[in-house]
Amino acid sequence: MEGNPNNPLIDLAYRLFNRIDDTDFEYIYRGNFSQKISKNLLALAETNVKDSAGRTSLKNKIYFVMVEGLQNVTKHRDKDETDIDGTPDSDGMFAIQKNLGHYYITTGNIVKKNEENTLKPKLEQINIMERDDLTLLRKEILKKGDLSDKGGAGLGFIEMARKSGKKLMFDFEPVNEQASFFYFRTEIPGNDTTEINNSFSDESKSLDDVKHLNEALDHEKILISFNGRFNRENTLSLLSVIKGQMNVSMTSKKVYAVMVELLQNISKHTSDIEGDKKNRGIFMLSKKEDTFVLTAGNLLHAEDVPKMKDRLEFINNLSDKELYKQYDMILLDIGSANERKTGLGFIDMRIKSTTGLNYIFKDINAQNTFFVLQVTIKN
Amino acid sequence: MKPLIIEATEDTPMIHFHPQEGRFEISKSSLPENAVEFYSPIIHWLKSYAAAPNPITIFDFNLEYLNTASSKQVFEVIMQINNIAHKSDVTVRWHYDTIDEDMLGLGTRFSHLVNVKFEFIEYDSDDALDFE
Repeated sequence: MEGNPNNPLIDLAYRLFNRIDDTDFEYIYRGNFSQKISKNLLALAETNVKDSAGRTSLKNKIYFVMVEGLQNVTKHRDKDETDIDGTPDSDGMFAIQKNLGHYYITTGNIVKKNEENTLKPKLEQINIMERDDLTLLRKEILKKGDLSDKGGAGLGFIEMARKSGKKLMFDFEPVNEQASFFYFRTEIPGNDTTEINNSFSDESKSLDDVKHLNEALDHEKILISFNGRFNRENTLSLLSVIKGQMNVSMTSKKVYAVMVELLQNISKHTSDIEGDKKNRGIFMLSKKEDTFVLTAGNLLHAEDVPKMKDRLEFINNLSDKELYKQYDMILLDIGSANERKTGLGFIDMRIKSTTGLNYIFKDINAQNTFFVLQVTIKN
Repeated sequence: MKPLIIEATEDTPMIHFHPQEGRFEISKSSLPENAVEFYSPIIHWLKSYAAAPNPITIFDFNLEYLNTASSKQVFEVIMQINNIAHKSDVTVRWHYDTIDEDMLGLGTRFSHLVNVKFEFIEYDSDDALDFE
């Protein structure tokens, strides 16, 4: 089952993982937005910001922009449920990225044409205003109490512009004649204020980058993509996002169980990788019709590869009966479990998977190999 | 013997072993990365209990999720329960969600590997609080 070279998900995992040098973390959620999901997304984002943002004021800024952004998406969701029923791709997206020390928060959701026509001039106006003018405008709106039914009046956007100190980035991607997909992106400069020189260096490039990213993820029907450090807190947050999102079923239980193994594998396999790439990996969950595909990628020490390959090949070639026999043998071999490895993980994932374990090894350099493991679960 | 009470966390189960109350329960989810660390005091406690157990001991396993690292450790717990059965009338009650054939399957496989009475108790996921 090794290495289907035409597996677009594996290619995507590799492509995203390669952003590792500039990207401290990159977390994207696509799908339905509910209050509960927002809460879980905030928890996950907070975990990562906590790890990397030193100053409290910076953390507060990031948190503020996340909350506002998520509220914008959920607000629209309420409206859209009745208004733009059946619009394709009516789900939203949320992304938080840390790139060379700067934070980027992006939301995406469907808006109707008339909303676009109100939003656009508002945002354009905010973008030409200086900070002092924004403060004045804010005071004025608060005094007048001029709030629309959804608490709007652009106050949220004004506040985000003030917290960011940068131009707001936005775009309306036409969906059909009545609706557009509204991308809204805020940069929050980190503690290190050196100008960055990469794909995020100017506003249009930065916005294009996240749009392309979202389109690539949409193409593969990815619900969640996390490129970052796999520690206990991140693992639990990712799991709670998924748990909160799925209905109870045999399939969702299998997806959850396999996800636990994959996430913990990344942290196990990368705990002794040197430097910045320690504990780094990428995890993606995609859902096409009734099929879930879980893809996990991380670096391995090149010398560990032959053993891992043999193990995967061995497990893939076992019949169901032999798989359970192997499982029992490992259970009965008391004391063989060391603290990190039981040997049960691959067997259990193979039992739960519909198609066997799919994997590739891609040599990076003399020391490291990129390893992708993919598990498919059909409903 | 002093009871062993461990509260559940997000990734470790609740342990409630109370010989005086006649209650022995493991419940919620178990998915710590380092399961050996979490389970070793539990196995240690069971070894002591095996020396002078109650005449009747009923263990309730009411687990929602187990990672594979925990499966291995839970089986070690069951091996200790197997030892208790020399001096006590022991039953393992393995609770599982109606929809969770994997949890039932795991319990069944455990039961085949030891000489302890297993009862399988099905509950309806609609009544489950955690996974909505």
